[in-house]
Amino acid sequence: MLDNPYHNKTLQWLAYAAVFLLIGIVPLLTDDDFLLNQLATYGVYGLLAVSISLCWGSGGILNLGQGIAFGLGAYGMAMTMQMQSQAPGTIPPFMANNALETLPIFWEPFWNTGLGIALALLVPTLFYLIFGGLMFVARVSGPFFAIMTLAILSALATVFVALQPYTNGVNGISPPTGLVIAGTKIDPYSSTAYWLVFALLLICTFTAKLLTQSRFGLVVRALKDDPERVRFLGYNVAVYETLVYALSGLMAAAAGASFAVLTQYVSPAQFEVGFSISAVIWAAIGGRGSLLWAMLGAFTVQGAQSYAGDAFLNTWILILGFSFILVVRFLPGGFAGLAELLLGRLASLRGGRREEFGQAPAKGAAK
Amino acid sequence: MSGDMIGGFLKIRNLRKSFGGNQVINDFSLDVTERRLQCLVGPNGAGKTTTIDLISGRQKPDSGHIWLRGDDITGLGEHEIARRGVGRKFQIPAVLKGLSVRENLEVAFSRETSALRNMFRLRAPGCDEKLAEVARTVRLTGRLDTEAGLLSHGETQWLEIGMVLMQDPEILLLDEPVAGMTENEIELTVEILNRLKKTHTIILVEHDMNFVRKIADIVTVLHMGALLAQGSLEDIEKDERVRAVYLGTEDAH
Amino acid sequence: MANALILGISIASIFLVAAIGLTIIYGTAGVINMAHGEFIMLGAYATYAMQTYFGLPYFLCIPCAFVIVGAIGFVIEKLLIQYLYHRPLDTLLATWGVSLVLIQGTRLTFGSDPKYIQMPGFLSSNIELGGVSLAAFRIFVILAALALIALVWFVFYKTDFGIKVRAVTQNREMAAAFGINSKQVYSFTFAFGAGLAGVAGALFGVLNIVLPTMGTGYVVQAFLIVVTGGGALMGSAIASIATGEMQSIFAMLLNDSFARFLIFILIVVFLRFRPQGLISAGGSRR
Repeated sequence: MLDNPYHNKTLQWLAYAAVFLLIGIVPLLTDDDFLLNQLATYGVYGLLAVSISLCWGSGGILNLGQGIAFGLGAYGMAMTMQMQSQAPGTIPPFMANNALETLPIFWEPFWNTGLGIALALLVPTLFYLIFGGLMFVARVSGPFFAIMTLAILSALATVFVALQPYTNGVNGISPPTGLVIAGTKIDPYSSTAYWLVFALLLICTFTAKLLTQSRFGLVVRALKDDPERVRFLGYNVAVYETLVYALSGLMAAAAGASFAVLTQYVSPAQFEVGFSISAVIWAAIGGRGSLLWAMLGAFTVQGAQSYAGDAFLNTWILILGFSFILVVRFLPGGFAGLAELLLGRLASLRGGRREEFGQAPAKGAAK
Repeated sequence: MSGDMIGGFLKIRNLRKSFGGNQVINDFSLDVTERRLQCLVGPNGAGKTTTIDLISGRQKPDSGHIWLRGDDITGLGEHEIARRGVGRKFQIPAVLKGLSVRENLEVAFSRETSALRNMFRLRAPGCDEKLAEVARTVRLTGRLDTEAGLLSHGETQWLEIGMVLMQDPEILLLDEPVAGMTENEIELTVEILNRLKKTHTIILVEHDMNFVRKIADIVTVLHMGALLAQGSLEDIEKDERVRAVYLGTEDAH
Repeated sequence: MANALILGISIASIFLVAAIGLTIIYGTAGVINMAHGEFIMLGAYATYAMQTYFGLPYFLCIPCAFVIVGAIGFVIEKLLIQYLYHRPLDTLLATWGVSLVLIQGTRLTFGSDPKYIQMPGFLSSNIELGGVSLAAFRIFVILAALALIALVWFVFYKTDFGIKVRAVTQNREMAAAFGINSKQVYSFTFAFGAGLAGVAGALFGVLNIVLPTMGTGYVVQAFLIVVTGGGALMGSAIASIATGEMQSIFAMLLNDSFARFLIFILIVVFLRFRPQGLISAGGSRR
């Protein structure tokens, strides 16, 4: 076996560190608050792609409905922000417009900022635990599971639209002011907001990376290959699947909550099938098998899309569709797969003759 | 034998299983003694693999019971049975093709199965030592970083045996472990099994009587899903009923 | 209540028409075709084009939609799907890419303004049925659903092609040993399923306005039918009737959205206890 630097664990960590260093210094280079806000939004998309890669890349669990957690997280945060701007005893204006007189009971906890944010993260996670648990214990997996996530997603979208008096329907919720934490207001158009998203992305990505290298991650990667075999080793496969799915849901919920902070707006568009599948496209084009590449995939695709501009948008979607087909057909590993291939070639060109002596370092977590 | 327990180490009583009206296991009972290698033989369709499936939890019996050290394990999930010390090797070698040989062995080292606890562990204590030992036993030390999907057929068989060894179960269920192996590879497997049966209980499904001769302590003959005969290989070979059953199939082979 | 039941049959027929092509593609070839909704959309546009540009009568447009969309399906199978049969998740993704391209391609060709399909006058009236007034066209869809089931049943059980398809589904190697070209069989099956989606489009284009995005709503619904049914033709039929009736009854008691939500939840719970669906389409596909 030749030593492919792509599989070298130390080099992997260095690559992660380097990329995050680059992302981290951006606010030092620009004063353009509008740009920072936009880049922070890409960070949120990157986090969403990381969450997909965690579940799909390591566990082989394709989730076409990641918008469930993202949307619920975003709604939870938007509700918290809405209530922050609300004088005690009053109800949000849209409720009054919809002939409500008192605050619906499930809005009450959002008076409390800490509780509201906790709910924004925990409700989607709990939802994933229950839904994932039901599915994985029944051994629903692969394409079936993907379809079911899609079904739940579209059902949620309908419900959020239908609950007009409680959710403001298709109009969504747009809190009048930014999030206030511990007395400080977070201006979405500021380096503070950028740093917050950056820190979240950093923590989530490195945690996810550590997780894939843990014993838990090893079992998850094993069950992607052959869940049946893993059961006979004594592991409760459904528990592993449910947990990795719920953790990816937690990350997506965090991404959704940050999204609400950055845009001060949430609507059922977050539950649209197209949005969830875009997230899968980012991860697929970047490389589903690698958290870092999935994140870069989100940056690239979303970045290209916004610079393509509205006039070019029609053609852009066509290009996106075609490139997605091409990636799936010819390059299932995405950019990451390409990088792996090239680095492997490079290594064999340089070290071809040293092959005999010494064992190659661990193939490692192959991330 | 000091290891013998009253009623047997693994006890199977009146097991029945049918698939779509076809009675595959029909009132099958068996006692397995600790630290013995017991071979399940019988013509095709006798229910050998199904028996292994029923013990390991892959299939649930329609009726009957299975006890392991006095605990009723009938109908438990695969992972629960595995945790009680039952390891299994499949007829068609089932290794994790996308992982390296090392990772295959590491996963199989399943002392700690709790998902939550495994989240906070980068490696399992004692795994490296065990891995080095097992890799030597199954002769895969030089192949540890190879992707398991790239192994030769014989190596794949050994890797799966190695996985069962890493798991270190009290009772090993091996379904045709030497299928497709070369003569040399079979010899080595015989060596491994003969060493292993001093410390483990083994149930082995096999067609090849030459191989059975080299390893079996006890031979159990299945026919039409029921126990036909049981005893030492000499006893079995003398048994008239076994001959009657085997003559037809041996020719058809 | 009787109202709801009759309306339920109408909804069920729409579900079934939407799902029938998908059932075939999934049940025989095991392909998760996410572009199914777009095949329906193409069927509607094919009908619109035939009617507007060539002045074809509506009833002739339906077989045209079948042929046109079937041909498109055939080409897509040859260019893409046939390489992905052993990677079901990737088929799902690739066909989703196809759906993006088809939507966008249609938008660039026909524009994003809605199109309308003219139906024959006698179908635009209402018919009294057991005290319920139902649009004649909805009755026509119910009849069409029955006709499509009969057609599929005939093709699969009474024709040479059907025997080959079933042989390949049962055992690919064995079928190959008998000289059946399984690749060819898959291509034509896919084309047949696509063609049926085209027919669905010809019908739905009348019920709704024709838009490039009209297909997206159908694919999830159709998949739930197929998954609940288990991939078999009869399974899909039963699942359609069951969900159609439930949709109608729940909608009467609550409203449309909640009815949909409730049905989705019920399907999740159902699959928890019967993951293989109502009638398993042979073999262990999962």
